[in-house]
Amino acid sequence: MKQIVIVGGGTAGTMTANNLARKLMNEIDRGEVAITMLSDSAKHYYRPGAMYVAFHKAEGHEFVRDQRSLLMPEVDFVVDPVVRLDPAHRNVRGKSGKSYAYDFLVLATGCEAAPERIPGLAEGGDWFYTYEGAKKIAEKFKAIKKGRVLITVNFPKTPDIPHQCGIAPVETTIMLHDYLTERGVRDDVEIIYTYPTKAQSVENGLFLQVPTSKVLPVIFDSKGIGHKTGFTLTRVDPKRKIAYSEEGEEIAFDILMATPPFQAAKVIRESGLSKALDGEGWLPTDKETLKVKGVERVYTLGDTVDLPVSKAGGTIHNQTDVVADNIAAEIRYGYPTESYDGKVIAVAQMGLTCGMPLWYDYEDDVMPTPCSKLGSFVRLGFNKGLYWAAARGML
Amino acid sequence: MSDTMTNAPQRAEMKVLEEKMAMLVQTGRMDNLVDLLAVLSDQIEMTTPPMVEKMIATVDKLAAAGFMTENAVRGARRATASGEVPSLFGLLKLMKDEEVRRGLAFVLQVTKHLGRQL
Repeated sequence: MKQIVIVGGGTAGTMTANNLARKLMNEIDRGEVAITMLSDSAKHYYRPGAMYVAFHKAEGHEFVRDQRSLLMPEVDFVVDPVVRLDPAHRNVRGKSGKSYAYDFLVLATGCEAAPERIPGLAEGGDWFYTYEGAKKIAEKFKAIKKGRVLITVNFPKTPDIPHQCGIAPVETTIMLHDYLTERGVRDDVEIIYTYPTKAQSVENGLFLQVPTSKVLPVIFDSKGIGHKTGFTLTRVDPKRKIAYSEEGEEIAFDILMATPPFQAAKVIRESGLSKALDGEGWLPTDKETLKVKGVERVYTLGDTVDLPVSKAGGTIHNQTDVVADNIAAEIRYGYPTESYDGKVIAVAQMGLTCGMPLWYDYEDDVMPTPCSKLGSFVRLGFNKGLYWAAARGML
Repeated sequence: MSDTMTNAPQRAEMKVLEEKMAMLVQTGRMDNLVDLLAVLSDQIEMTTPPMVEKMIATVDKLAAAGFMTENAVRGARRATASGEVPSLFGLLKLMKDEEVRRGLAFVLQVTKHLGRQL
């Protein structure tokens, strides 16, 4: 009997568990393979939903479901947060004290916002990457009548790794413009979008890929959104409401909508497997097989990896089958057979009623196209329904 | 690259397109196609976000029901793979299983709520 253990019940863990169960159904039927998922929660959160909560376009509860309802019955689901990895002895330990042995391990623990890495940010800034954060900033957006909303973006210290969901700062900036226009206060509220000097391979741009970075000034100008590159947030004075940059500038704000620093989950950061800078914890990942480098029989995907691709669901959707196929192939033939090409597919929410389909891979960047109402419907449909089918491995 | 080199193939393609379009116009089909595009465009124009949400909620419920049913049928197939027909006592023995009782209670409740609508 081969035991597969999946750590993490988010998008990556859930899709992979179901895809593995489907691909290995014959082996499961014969009692040769068992799949166990370990999660820190009985609930499943669709994280991109938080962005809509920030603009009162969703309440939040519609993006939460029972994890068990999304898993095939062949997947044994256990709520026991993993606190220790022991790849040398091929087991992981849960908070309950129980040890779980594995033949193959999938680390799908995602990443978490770490505003505490920037002095003053936790007190002075807001972010929409968590539901609590989104609810807090929604109240501020609802109340503001005049002043300035400043947008900042921080990247991991480890080179060529993105923050969570690369397009999210652009999406929310344009959504904010639409929302304030809807509220009739846009003329009295200034929006300034800033971007750090270094954003993966782009320097002094407005986005982490060159083609999009080049078109953004035109889009922002057409909406009266101020933009400024070369502003790497380093400190926030929450009392005086001033943001300071590494480059030596300061900008006052009424609301600071920040993309905070991100880091891998605690269990990964403390595993000793990562070589990322500043203890950020990104797992060294083979860009093709999605195996964790330096250890045997361990795979990873999603937000935990140290690859240059977006930390987003549209990435995971393309990685999950590579992981599932490779584990199935290792069980059947003794070696992995599939290769990830860096493909990311998504529909960006470019404002409250406009959607822009996008795709890219290791070779080609996103080619920006005009957004459309139809694109927005596709995104809405995915958010409010199709996502759950995708998580179940039906799509 | 010269202008002629880039434009020549495009002109050839446009000519092919022109001929096909001319056929559609001559045979009176063009009017229908324009109407069809107009209807499609009207559909997009008249669709609102709440309509999309309601439609997709139905799709989601159908997908969830399909997922649950498929899982249940697969599990049942696996459990009855031996082909053995249980005795009356064997059927009653199945009732000792908590999951069987939970499922049966659910089915009875579904029957009740079907009845309410009849």
